Amino acid sequence: MSDDILVKTRGLKKYFPLTGGVFRKVIGKVHAVDGVDLDIARGETLGVVGESGCGKTTLGRTILRLLTPTDGTIEFDGVDITEIKGRELRETRRNMQIIFQDPMASLNPRVTVKNSVGEPFIVNRIARGPRMRDLVLALFLKVGLTEDHLNRFPHEFSGGQRQRICIARALALNPKFIVMDEPTSSTDVSVQAQTLNLMKDLQDEFKLTYMFISHNLSVVKHMSDRLAVMYLGKIVELTPGDIFREAQHPYTFALVSAVPIPDPKFAGRAQLLKGEVPSPINPPRGCRFHPRCIFCRDICTREEPELRDVGDGHLVACHFAGELDFGESVQQEYAVALADM
Amino acid sequence: MATEELVLKITGLKTNFYTYEGVVLALDGVELFLRRGDTMGLVGETGCGKSVTARSILRLVEPPGKIEEGEIIFFDSDDRSGKITPIDLLQLHPEEMLHVRGKRISIVFQDPATFPNPVFRIGTQIAESVLLHQDLSREVVEMKIGEMRNSLTGDLPEERRSQVVEKIRYYEQQLDEPPEPDDKDKKKAAQIVAEEMLKLVKMPSPSSVMMQYPHELSGGMRQRALIAMALVCNPEILICDEATTALDVTVQAQVLNLLNELKKEIGASIIIITHDMGVVAETCNWVSVMYAGTTVESCATVDLFANPVHPYTAGLLTAVPKLHDTRERFPQIRGTVPNLITPPSGCRFHPRCDYCTEICKKEKPELKEHRPGHWVACHNPLS
Ligand SMILES: Nc1ncnc2c1ncn2[C@@H]1O[C@H](COP(=O)(O)OP(=O)(O)OP(=O)(O)O)[C@@H](O)[C@H]1O
Ligand SMILES: Nc1ncnc2c1ncn2[C@@H]1O[C@H](COP(=O)(O)OP(=O)(O)O)[C@@H](O)[C@H]1O
Ligand code: SF4
Ligand code: SF4
Ligand SMILES: [Mg+2]
Ligand SMILES: [Mg+2]
Repeated sequence: MSDDILVKTRGLKKYFPLTGGVFRKVIGKVHAVDGVDLDIARGETLGVVGESGCGKTTLGRTILRLLTPTDGTIEFDGVDITEIKGRELRETRRNMQIIFQDPMASLNPRVTVKNSVGEPFIVNRIARGPRMRDLVLALFLKVGLTEDHLNRFPHEFSGGQRQRICIARALALNPKFIVMDEPTSSTDVSVQAQTLNLMKDLQDEFKLTYMFISHNLSVVKHMSDRLAVMYLGKIVELTPGDIFREAQHPYTFALVSAVPIPDPKFAGRAQLLKGEVPSPINPPRGCRFHPRCIFCRDICTREEPELRDVGDGHLVACHFAGELDFGESVQQEYAVALADM
Repeated sequence: MATEELVLKITGLKTNFYTYEGVVLALDGVELFLRRGDTMGLVGETGCGKSVTARSILRLVEPPGKIEEGEIIFFDSDDRSGKITPIDLLQLHPEEMLHVRGKRISIVFQDPATFPNPVFRIGTQIAESVLLHQDLSREVVEMKIGEMRNSLTGDLPEERRSQVVEKIRYYEQQLDEPPEPDDKDKKKAAQIVAEEMLKLVKMPSPSSVMMQYPHELSGGMRQRALIAMALVCNPEILICDEATTALDVTVQAQVLNLLNELKKEIGASIIIITHDMGVVAETCNWVSVMYAGTTVESCATVDLFANPVHPYTAGLLTAVPKLHDTRERFPQIRGTVPNLITPPSGCRFHPRCDYCTEICKKEKPELKEHRPGHWVACHNPLS
C-alpha cells in the first residue's frame, strides 16, 4: 500500500518569523502551515483550496523543499527528504516541479523561450546546442507550441501560451510530481479550459502526480481526484467525493455556498461567512474556525478537533462532523436541477 | 429600444493602438446600450476589448491608443429636476469631460492595489474626493445643527440653552438655501461624509479604517474602500472592471452582495466587466458579449443562458466549468483568440466558427434585434 504513496507529510509545519521595530527583532510567528498530515498517491491529482493566506502556496513550496520546514517530516518516493541537502537535494528536485500563477513573472523577459525552457538541460549537463534545441522542440510540440515559437521572447506570447511555455519547462527533466499553484487564475475560461485539458493529457502520458492549488473551487474540483480544504494552516476537510454536495465541515460548506452559480435561475444566495480570515500570527484557540462558525459550542473554543475519517476516506476536522444540519443550499438545488436535465 | 430608458448608448465605437508592430484594431464598431437602473455584464475572452471599451467611455485611452470614431451618448439626468440631457462624450471638451469622469460616471479597476495614493490615509483620500465632487454647503449646515444639538445635552444654564435653540433655528432656515461655507467647515464635513461612505459599503470598523493606510487593509476591504470612493459623487453609472476577480470567493460574494444592495440605495446603473459567468448570472440582469473588439450578442441574462444565439456565446457557455460535473475534459472553443493587427476578414469569429458560410468571410455581420429584446451580430444565428 505505502508503495502507492508518492508524497507523505507528517505534522508538517512552516512558520515565518515576523519582525518589527527598529532592530528588526522577531516579534512573532506566522503559522503559515501548522501541522499537515497528507498522503498523495501516485498518479492522482490532489486539489488544495482555501481563502488567500491560508497557506496553500507555503504548503506546496515546503513539500518541494523550496522552503525549509519548521517541524514535521516529508517523504518523497519512500525517502525522507526533510533534511537532505546539496547534491542529494538537487537530485530529488529534478523529480519535483512547480508551475506558478503568473507565467510572465517566472520567465526571464530578455531570454528567448527556447533558452528558458532549455535551461534545466544545461544546468544539469544533459544537453546543449542543437541537441538541446531538439529536446526543447519536442517539449514544445507536446504542449501545443510550434517550431517558429522557439526564438521568440516571452512578451510576444499570450497568457495561455506563456503558461504552456512554463509547463514545457516543468516537464523538461521528466518529473514525477508537479505542484501547480493557481496555474489558470490569470487566464479566462476558454484559455483555462485549454490549459487544463493539456495538463490532463500530459498527466496520462507521463504518469504524473499533481498537487493542484487554486481558490477557484469549480476548476479544482474538475481537475482533482481528491480535494483538501485548508483553513489557517491546517487541512480541515479532505474528500474523494463531490465537495459541492457532501461538504461536512462548516467552513467547507460556507466556502462552497459562496461560489457564484453560472445560471441566473439560482441567483441570490445566503451569505454564510462573516468577517475575514483571522490572522495566522495568533490563530484562535481550540477549533481555528470557531470565531466564524455558526455551530460553535463550548468544546470548540477549548479543544482542537482532529482530522478523522467519517467513512470512505472522507476526513473532517470538526467535533460535530456528521451531526450538523446545514439545511438546503443553493448549490444542492443546482445539482438536483442539473441531474434532472 | 426606446431612448428614454437609456442612460448610455454606444454606436460604432472604434479604438486603435498605434504600436511598433502595427495598428492594433482593438475596438471595431462596439455597440452597447445600458438602461437606467440595469446592471449589465460585459463579458468576453482576454483581450477582446472590455477594458478598452470602459476606458473609451471615460476618455481615458492613452497614447499610443486613439478613439477613432463612433458615438458615446450619455443621458445625464439632473439630480433635482430629473431632466435628461443627452451628451456625446466623444465631442466634449476635455475640461467638460472632467465633470463627467469620476462624477457622473465612476470606475473601479481590477487591481485592489491601485489605490490612488498609497501614502495617504484612507479617510484623507475619500474626504479629498468628497471635497472635489460635492457641494458641501448643505452638509456643513447640517453638521453645525448636529453640533448644536449635541451641546444641548447635559446641564446648560437656561439662558445659554435658549441661545443655542435660537442658533439651531437660524441654521435650519439656511437649509433650503445654504450659504457658501468656509474651507475649514467644508473639510470637517467632508470627513463626516467620507465615514458615511465607508458605512454605506459595510466597511468593518469604519472610523478606524479612516485612519489607516491602503496597504494595511485586506484585499476585500481595499475593494470596498475603492467602491466607496467611486460612489462619493453619486454617479449615474458605476463601471467595475474585474473588480472582484482577484478576490477570494467568500470576499467576492460579500462585494457582489454589496453592489446589489447599493444599486437599490443609490439608483445608479452598473456595468460589471468580468470573465466569470457565475458573477454575471448572480448580479446582472442584462449582458453584452464581446469578441475581438466587436459586440456579438446582447440580451437579458436569463435569455442568454437559456438561448444563446451567437455561436461564440454558445461555445463560451459550454466552456464554463459546471460545478457538478465529474472529472472529465473541459469543453473548449477550438482555435485561439485572433491577433488584432491583422484580424480575420468579415466576421472576426469565422476561423473558429462551426457555422461559418461564405458570406461570413466577406461581410461583417451587424448587431440586429434577432427577436424582441435579443440582439445578435451573426449571419447564421442559432435557433
Ligand atoms: N496600451 C496598449 N497598447 C497596445 N495594445 C493595447 C493596449 N491596451 C490594450 N491593447 C490591446 O487592445 C485589445 C483589447 O484589450 P483590453 O485590455 O480591452 O482587453 P480586455 O477585454 O479587458 O481583456 P482582459 O479580460 O484580459 O482584461 C487587446 O488586443 C490589447 O492587446
Ligand atoms: N516569505 C514569507 N515571510 C513571511 N510570511 C509569509 C511568507 N510567505 C507567506 N507568508 C505568510 O504565510 C501565510 C500563508 O501564505 P501563503 O502560503 O502564500 O497563502 P496562500 O497561498 O494560501 O494564499 C500568509 O499569512 C502569508 O502572509
Ligand atoms: S469544531 Fe466546532 S467551531 Fe469548529 S467547525 Fe466544528 S462546530 Fe464549528
Ligand atoms: S457570422 Fe458566420 S462566422 Fe460569424 S459567428 Fe455567425 S455563423 Fe459564425
Ligand atoms: Mg498562493
Ligand atoms: Mg481588462
